[in-house]
Amino acid sequence: MTGQEIVFALLGAVAVGSGIMVVTTRQLVHAALWLVLSFGALAGMYLVLTAEFVAWVQVLIYVGAIVVLLLFGIMLTRAPIGTAPDLDSGNRWIAAAVAVATAALLVTVVVMGFGDAKMPLEAGGGSAEALGSAVFRTWVLPFEVLSVLLLSALVGAIVLSRTDIGGARSRGKGD
Amino acid sequence: MTSHVSAALAPGGDIPAPHIEYGQIMPILLVLGVAVAGVLVEAFVGRTWRYTVQVPLAFLGLAGGFAWTIVLGLRDETHAVAAEGALGVDGPTLFLQGTILILALVSLLLIADRGTGSFAAQAAALPGSEAEQRTTAAGIIQTEVFPLLMFAVGGMLIFPASNDLLTMFVGLEVMSLPLYLLCGLARRRRLLSQEAAVKYFLLGSFSSAFFLYGIALLYGYAGSVKLGDIAAEAGRDAGSETLLLGGIALLALGLLFKLGAVPFHMWKPDVYQGAPTPITALMASCTLVSAFGAMLRVFFVAFENLTWEWRPAMWGVSIITMIAGAVIAITQTDIKRMLAYSSIAHAGFLLTGVIATSREGLSSTLFYLAAYGFTTVGAFAVVTTVRDAGGEAGHLSRWAGLGKRSPLIAGVFAFFLLAFAGIPLTSGFTGKFAVFKAAVEADATPLVVVGVISSAIAAFFYVRVIVVMFFSEPEADGPTVVVSPATAAAVVLGLAATVVLGVLPQPVLDLAGHAATQMFVR
Amino acid sequence: MSPGHYLALSAILFTIGALGVLVRRNAIVVFMCIELMLNATNLAFVSFSRMHGNLDGQIIAFFVMVVAAAEVVVGLAIIMTIFRTRRSSSVDDVNLLKY
Repeated sequence: MTGQEIVFALLGAVAVGSGIMVVTTRQLVHAALWLVLSFGALAGMYLVLTAEFVAWVQVLIYVGAIVVLLLFGIMLTRAPIGTAPDLDSGNRWIAAAVAVATAALLVTVVVMGFGDAKMPLEAGGGSAEALGSAVFRTWVLPFEVLSVLLLSALVGAIVLSRTDIGGARSRGKGD
Repeated sequence: MTSHVSAALAPGGDIPAPHIEYGQIMPILLVLGVAVAGVLVEAFVGRTWRYTVQVPLAFLGLAGGFAWTIVLGLRDETHAVAAEGALGVDGPTLFLQGTILILALVSLLLIADRGTGSFAAQAAALPGSEAEQRTTAAGIIQTEVFPLLMFAVGGMLIFPASNDLLTMFVGLEVMSLPLYLLCGLARRRRLLSQEAAVKYFLLGSFSSAFFLYGIALLYGYAGSVKLGDIAAEAGRDAGSETLLLGGIALLALGLLFKLGAVPFHMWKPDVYQGAPTPITALMASCTLVSAFGAMLRVFFVAFENLTWEWRPAMWGVSIITMIAGAVIAITQTDIKRMLAYSSIAHAGFLLTGVIATSREGLSSTLFYLAAYGFTTVGAFAVVTTVRDAGGEAGHLSRWAGLGKRSPLIAGVFAFFLLAFAGIPLTSGFTGKFAVFKAAVEADATPLVVVGVISSAIAAFFYVRVIVVMFFSEPEADGPTVVVSPATAAAVVLGLAATVVLGVLPQPVLDLAGHAATQMFVR
Repeated sequence: MSPGHYLALSAILFTIGALGVLVRRNAIVVFMCIELMLNATNLAFVSFSRMHGNLDGQIIAFFVMVVAAAEVVVGLAIIMTIFRTRRSSSVDDVNLLKY
C-alpha cells in the first residue's frame, strides 16, 4: 500500500462516515457540522488528486460559505437545537431499498469501467494558473453567464426576504 | 508578489483573448443585458417610476432579441459555433430561440398586467399581516419580477443553444433559479404559492444533481463535455460502454424532469397550480420549448449513433407519459391542474417526434412546440380573466355556465381546449399530425397508435369542460369575467396563432422544415 | 492507484445524498443532502479529469461549486419565506398541494 492509497482510504472513510451521519443524525445542527467534515475530507481528496485550486475553492465556498449559510438557515428557522424526533419521513425502508439499488448500479458501472486503469501521480496539474487560462479562454461564456446567475440569485433572495420595501414610506405617511 | 506572478505569466504565458461572435449570440446578450439593466433600474429609479420603466425595457429587450433572431435567420449562413464552441447557432436553435422570445413576449403581456394583480405586493410580508395589507392598499407592486423574468428567459435561450454540457448545465440553472423564485410570488393563496416554490426548488435541484452526474459519467467516457466529441467517441465504439449508458440515462432523467415526462412529472401539477398564472403560462410555453430544444440537441448530436440504446427506454417513457397525462387529467377538478396534466400528455406527444430521430421528426417537433406554446399561453390567459372575490376561480365547478355569462371568453377557451384535443382546423391537429407522420415514417407506428388513443381519452375530458361551461346553469354567485387590455391582447395573440397555424400552417411548416434542413451544428 | 476507487467513493456518496433526500423531512436537511450529491459529482469530475489528463473536469467542478452557492442562496430564501408563513420547515407539512 502506497502513501497515496493510505491517505485515500482514510479520507474516504471520513467522507462516507460523516455523509452517513448527515443522513442519520437526529440533530439538525449536527447534520450541518458533519457536512463540514465530509466536505473537508473531499477537499483533502482533491489535493491527493493534485487539483489544488479546486481543493481550496472547496474549502472557501463549501466549508466557508455554504455551510455557514445553512447554519444561519437553521438558526433563523428556529429549528430545535436538540434532538428532533420527527426528522425522518415514513418511507425510509423503500428509500433504503432504492438507495442500495442505486449504489449497486453506480458502483458496478464505475468499477466495470475502470477495473484495471491506473493513473500516475504528478504535481501541478490543477494550478490556479492553468485553470484560469482555460476559464478565460475556452469556458469564457459559461463563466460570464455564471456571474449573471449569481446576480439573479442575489436579486431573488432580496425580493423574498426584505420586508421594508415600501413599508418605510407608507408608515411615514400614516404617522 | 506581483513580479513573481508576471514572471510566471510573461514568456508566452499571456492568455490569448477568446473570440466571441457577438453578432451571432446577440439575442442572448440583449436579454441578459436588459435583465442587468432592470436590476440597475430597481436600484436607482424611484419606486413610483419603476413599473413604467421596467415594462417597456423588458418589451424592448424581448422584441429586440426576436428581431435580431429573425435577421440571423434571414441571413441564412447560420451554421456556426460561437463563443469558443460554447453555443451552436444553427437553424433549429434560431427557430427555438425565436419561439421562446415571442412566447415570452406574450407571457410578458400577462405578467405586466396590473389589472389582474397576480403578484404579491411584497413577497417578504407575511400573508394576512398588516404590512401586507398596507403595501397592497398602497398599490405597490414587486417590480423585481421583470429582471427575474429576463434572467429566466436568458437561461432559456442558452439551454437549447449550448454546444457543450457545461454551458447546458449553467443555462439550466440560469433558467431554473429565477423560476423557483417567481413561483413563490403569487398575490392570492400565498401559502399554496410558497409551497409550490419549495417543492419545485427541492425537486428541481434533486434532478439537476442527477443531470450533473450524467454529465460526469459522459465526461469520464469521452474525456470532453462537447456534444460533438461525445458523438465522435461513441462512433469509434471505444471506451467503457457502461459509463456511456449510465451517463445517457442520468442526463435523460434530468432533461425529462424539466419536460415533466412521467415518471418525473410530480412537480408539474403542483407548481402549475401554485405559481402565479402568468408565470405558469411562461413555464408551460417557454420552459417546455427550451427543455425540448436541449433534449433534441443532446439526442440528435451527442447520441446520434446510439439510437438503438436509448430508443426503447424513450418509447416506454413516451407511452406512459401520453397515457398517464390523459388519464389523470380526467380526474382533475382544478382548471390549472387539468392544464398541467394536459401539458404532461403533450410532452408525451412531442417525445414521439424526438424518437423519430429524423429530419421530419425534428421539423415537426419544432412546429408542434410553437403551436402548442401559443395555445397554452392563450389558455392560461383566459384562466386569469375568470375571477372570484378571492382571485382566480380555479375550481371547475365555478366555471359552470360560463358560456351564458360570458359567451366570448367561454367560446375562446373552448376553442383552445379543442386545439389541445387536436381537432382539425386548429393548430393542435396540424402539430399532432406532423409529429405522428414523422413517427410512422421512422417505424414507430405503435407509438402513434397509443398517441391517437390517448388523444381520444384527453378529448373526452376537454369536451366535459366545454359541456360544463355551456350546458349547465350558472351559479348565482358565480365568478365574473374581468378582461384588461393586456390580457385581451395575449388571448387574441394566442387565438390568432392557433387559428392561423391550424388553417394555413404551410408557411410555418416550411419555416420549421427549412430550419431543420441542416440539422444541428456540432 | 486506480481511478475506479475514487469513482466508487463518489458513487457511494451520491447514493447517501440521494437516500437522504428521500428519507429526511426537514427542508434544510434535504437541501444538505443535495449538496452532498453535488459534492460527489465534483469528486467524479476531478478524478475523471485526472484520468484523462485534461483540466475540463476541474473547471466543471469549480463551476458546480459556484452554482451550488447560488442555489443555496435561492433555496434558503424560499425555505425562509415559507417558514415565516408556517413556522415550520418540515417538507411533509408542505401538503396543501397533495391530491
